[in-house]
Amino acid sequence: MMLALFLFTTPITAVTNQAHSAMKPPEDHRACLRCHAMKTLAYRDPLSKKIITLVIDPSGFEHSVHGQLNCRECHEQHYQRYPHSERARAPLHCVKCHEDGKKQAQHQSNHQPPRQYQFTTIEQEFKRSVHATSDEPDAQDFNCHSCHNPHQFQRSQIGKPLAQVVRDDNAICLSCHEQRFDSLETTHAWLPRRDKHWQAVRCLECHTPLSTTGQPVSHQILAAADSKVDCVNCHSQDAQLLTRLYQYRSQEDVARTGFIAKAVFNDAYIIGMSRSPIIDFIGLLMIALTALVLIGHGWGRYRAAQQLSRGSQ
Amino acid sequence: MNDPAPVKPLLSHLAQRRLLIISGILLIVFIAYRLFYPPLFDAYVGKTNAPLTYANSQTVTPQAFELLARDLSHQARYQKAAAIVATDQDPFARQVKIEMLMNTASFVRDTEPTHIKYFRQAGIRRYDGPKTCLGCHATLQVTHSDGRIETVNTLDDIVNSVHFKFQSTSSGFSTYGYDGRAVNSGQRRIPVGKIDRACGIPGSFTWTGWAALVKSRPDNAQGAIEIRSEGCGQCHIGGNYQPATEKMMPIGDVPNEAKAGLDCLICHAANYDMNQRYVIQDEYGLRWNQDRSLQAALSVAPVTNDNCLRCHQHNMGGDAYIHNQAAQNLGEKHRRLLHHGAKRGNPFSPEDDRHATAGIQCTDCHIPEGHKIPRGRLGVDLVANDLPNKEVSCEQCHSQLPHNHSKDKALLNGHITRLACETCHIKQLEENNVVLRDWVHPTWNAEEGVFQPTDVYRSGAVGTGFTFLWFNGNGTFLANALGNHPNHNLNYNPLMQQMVRIDDAGAIAAIRAKAQELKRQYPEIDVEQYVRTATDPLSQLSPELLAKRQAMIEANLRSVMNQGESRIYPFKLFNAMMYEDMGNQGPFGAMILPFDYASYYETGDPKAAVKKALQDPIVQRMYQLPFKLYMMDEFMAYFGVMDGWQPNYPLVNGELKRVEAHWMRQMGTLMVNHGIQGRGRECKDCHALNGIMNYEALGYSPERAAELRDLDVLTQVELPFVDRK
Amino acid sequence: MMTGLYLYARWLRVWHWLNALLFMVLIVSGVSMHFGGSALLMPFNTAVTVHNTAGILLSVTWLGFMIGNAVTTNKRHYRVTWRGLPQRLFAQMRYYGYGIFHNAPHPFHVTADMKLNTLQQLSYLGVMYGLMPILVMSGWAFLFSTFLPDTLFGIGSVWFVAMIHLTVAYGLALFLLVHSYIITTGDTLTSNLRAMITGWHPFTPPLERSFDHAAETIPPKTADQRS
Repeated sequence: MMLALFLFTTPITAVTNQAHSAMKPPEDHRACLRCHAMKTLAYRDPLSKKIITLVIDPSGFEHSVHGQLNCRECHEQHYQRYPHSERARAPLHCVKCHEDGKKQAQHQSNHQPPRQYQFTTIEQEFKRSVHATSDEPDAQDFNCHSCHNPHQFQRSQIGKPLAQVVRDDNAICLSCHEQRFDSLETTHAWLPRRDKHWQAVRCLECHTPLSTTGQPVSHQILAAADSKVDCVNCHSQDAQLLTRLYQYRSQEDVARTGFIAKAVFNDAYIIGMSRSPIIDFIGLLMIALTALVLIGHGWGRYRAAQQLSRGSQ
Repeated sequence: MNDPAPVKPLLSHLAQRRLLIISGILLIVFIAYRLFYPPLFDAYVGKTNAPLTYANSQTVTPQAFELLARDLSHQARYQKAAAIVATDQDPFARQVKIEMLMNTASFVRDTEPTHIKYFRQAGIRRYDGPKTCLGCHATLQVTHSDGRIETVNTLDDIVNSVHFKFQSTSSGFSTYGYDGRAVNSGQRRIPVGKIDRACGIPGSFTWTGWAALVKSRPDNAQGAIEIRSEGCGQCHIGGNYQPATEKMMPIGDVPNEAKAGLDCLICHAANYDMNQRYVIQDEYGLRWNQDRSLQAALSVAPVTNDNCLRCHQHNMGGDAYIHNQAAQNLGEKHRRLLHHGAKRGNPFSPEDDRHATAGIQCTDCHIPEGHKIPRGRLGVDLVANDLPNKEVSCEQCHSQLPHNHSKDKALLNGHITRLACETCHIKQLEENNVVLRDWVHPTWNAEEGVFQPTDVYRSGAVGTGFTFLWFNGNGTFLANALGNHPNHNLNYNPLMQQMVRIDDAGAIAAIRAKAQELKRQYPEIDVEQYVRTATDPLSQLSPELLAKRQAMIEANLRSVMNQGESRIYPFKLFNAMMYEDMGNQGPFGAMILPFDYASYYETGDPKAAVKKALQDPIVQRMYQLPFKLYMMDEFMAYFGVMDGWQPNYPLVNGELKRVEAHWMRQMGTLMVNHGIQGRGRECKDCHALNGIMNYEALGYSPERAAELRDLDVLTQVELPFVDRK
Repeated sequence: MMTGLYLYARWLRVWHWLNALLFMVLIVSGVSMHFGGSALLMPFNTAVTVHNTAGILLSVTWLGFMIGNAVTTNKRHYRVTWRGLPQRLFAQMRYYGYGIFHNAPHPFHVTADMKLNTLQQLSYLGVMYGLMPILVMSGWAFLFSTFLPDTLFGIGSVWFVAMIHLTVAYGLALFLLVHSYIITTGDTLTSNLRAMITGWHPFTPPLERSFDHAAETIPPKTADQRS
């Protein structure tokens, strides 16, 4: 029944906290965090002009999916001193852990919910993504970590306010696509009440194709030209996209506010969700016709009453 | 058909009469308020208002106007042309190019002072103060920070700014009373600000120290007397006989005569003659003269640093600062007395501040909204703030990632979480920065020919002239920076530690030497006692008051210290020995009594000067019931004296009662934000055994402090990294 | 002095007007959500809360009506007498379609035992026992759509529920329209309305009847007995 819609964001729930504390506590990261916990440990890269951040938020890391790991399980060598050796820049070996099947079994043995995403599927989808296919200089070296900070990464949990989920999720996109904030920006000008949409809908809803693999969201990010630019995808009877949005919202609402409050204050409605042009047409036509008949009827009665009063005088 | 109904009056006769009586009373109240209240108020507070005239406000002939215009134009063109060709090596080539530029049409058009044209067209041949300015600038478009544009009355805008009234009854102070309440955050609001703030640096406050003429007897003048000017009004823009005392009352406004005394030009004119700024005496009293020449008015231009620094270098670099331009022109007569010790000692000038060097203007960071100029959200001192919510910070321009060059740029940026930019980029203050000032034992200044307070200790060095404290933007009623280590450490307690103790051996030795020197003039001084109270002002408190102080800090201020996220800032330290009204004493100090400048400077008898100042009507009013109820009880609550203001006038039959000389119970800490150096401190300045940071006093554990003092430990990642495969 | 039949018990009247009020609120807020965005309508967010609240209250009042009908004698008005039903139905329709324009006598006369004419009875039955439960249930299904299967008959279940809710809502709006008109066809324009306010069905003496003189021939008592 639970449609687990996992979003790539950083919600923190009591459930995950307990789960983590029950596991083996992470070893002392103190030596690394002495510098990397500084909230402004970052610089502007002179070449790319981008901000390179080296900050690890200790609490964010602790609650992330990797929170039980030690720094050195991924960052294996060459970090003995400040400044770190140039060799420390060598790529990491994520696949060592992230082989499909291998972890799947472990997860099941830990009584965790089954993995929603398969890395092989993600990889296939990503290869078709505009982030992988683009020739733009900015898109070179695009990799998983460009969006998913391994030190923060968490599966979204039911219980986090919806607006927060949307905001966190979109923040990932906007961290590069910050020009979308520009009020003079025109690519989304077609979207009525643009800012309202951005508060309520993830970029992904329009910029990914509907997943055919059973994974909630595809990793094939679409180019602007291929993305959905019509209202009907959401605001109509087309069930698929609608259900994807609506179900998570509703589920989230119940979890957050409880049964009764949810009934009164749910924010799961979408304008036009109940719209059906045929029913609307028939319904309104019926009402209009009936109104006409009733007016005619009333007029007839009025005439009859007049006749009667004339007759009686 | 029916009898016509008798015409009913709208109101009965009785109601009519009542209405008439009520309107009559209202009219009388209104007339009384307009006609009788102002003189009554003046009489009550002993202040004067009269029409103000200025000798230099003269009508010129059309011919003289053109002459002035030509000179000003020439001067402006010359200055700008010279600046453009300044890099040319050959002086002759420079001269030729300057002349060419000065006569180039577009250059003339862009450089000539604009008001020459305006005044010529409007036929203005005399500058008559605000009246002349308001002729065109009656209203003003103000752009607020949220983009809102508002049209305001220019005169009201300036009269209600702190530059004119230096007080505020509104909320928005970042200042907390020692009772734990944010100043004016509740229902009860009192006027506070520079107008009534007790402070040991000037030794007086604006009510009693507005304008004074001092007879000086310089040693080299062979007994001749020179009259000198002194007082708060030398900087403040009101040209009247007193500060805007009227604004302290819930009703009433500054009279129009006083508003006509506003000095627009000191801020708006490029050519303002500071030699016109001196105290004059007329039949009504003492007031400050100002430059109201047509020449100054014609030079009105967008405000530059020169405008602001005419006054503000006084409290940054100080009067004695070599690049203080205003201090070069002390007055064509009644020359202004220079203050030799610097209030902050952090000058803003192209020579000593990186931003000034780069041509950054004051208003680039302090972005004004009309005549309201922001001083930022952070503030330790009780200075009224026109725009308390408007940010003024380094990060506004530099972001939180200002370091781009160093190989340690990421780590340097990382430090911004904990350190303010000023902490590294202000490495020292001016040498004449005053730390301890003794008003009770004045010394003779032979050169100036006046008695001056003795600066017992001056230092611009780190650790002695200024120190580092956690600061979250809040301050106390007596200018103590509040903040705490992010772990909300109970060991960090600057009001019991850093601000109440001088323990630098060099500083103590210097203070002792000064005390011995003073003893020659004042034999009653007990040198050891003197050194102890100066370096440990809490030794002046009784054990009960000391315990109460500790309890009040924890109960009232601890939570204020723990607010927000503190960072380490540098703070200039200051303490003063002054006369205090011990009838109004609390754990954080007693009411400081002001000095009358003239008698202090002339006689060197501080007691006589206090007595004189106490006779000022407004000080007498302060010790009476209406003032007690209106504001002093509340004022004292903020001061940490919880049982109200004791209105026992300390001058009885010409003798001072309950008045004692004391150092303030803790040093004031003044924020320093200017005098920024481009190159900051090195790692080892702090992270070394003899580093500048007292980590333990800042609330770090001994182990962490040891770690922080060892750069080798800090750069060593202790966990052995091994390949686990 | 009012003479007549006391037909509408207090609880019934309270329920009726509460129901009417909720109906209006639901229509306004429902339209606001359905056709969201127009300045004439409620703001969407307000409409959601209002609609949900009113919907829940409507569920409660509907249950109240069911219980009220079950425990009081009011239920007798809803007991369908099958014998002669088509004829009575036809007579009623004929009256509305023809007789009313010719000042024909009302074919049905209100008694304490049967206050509803056959047409009324059937339509009320349909509304209260047919459409209303569907509307209420589909509304609740909306609120807790999480617990619905993802799809119904291959279509997204949320949409399925939405269409049912919408269709029934149109039906009930239509009913409300007709209902508000039909109540003006009593003895006078407002006599039925007043009856629902006071509880008393006016029993006007024959002489004062201006329209319905044809009915004078039948004494009310006999009319009662006949139905």
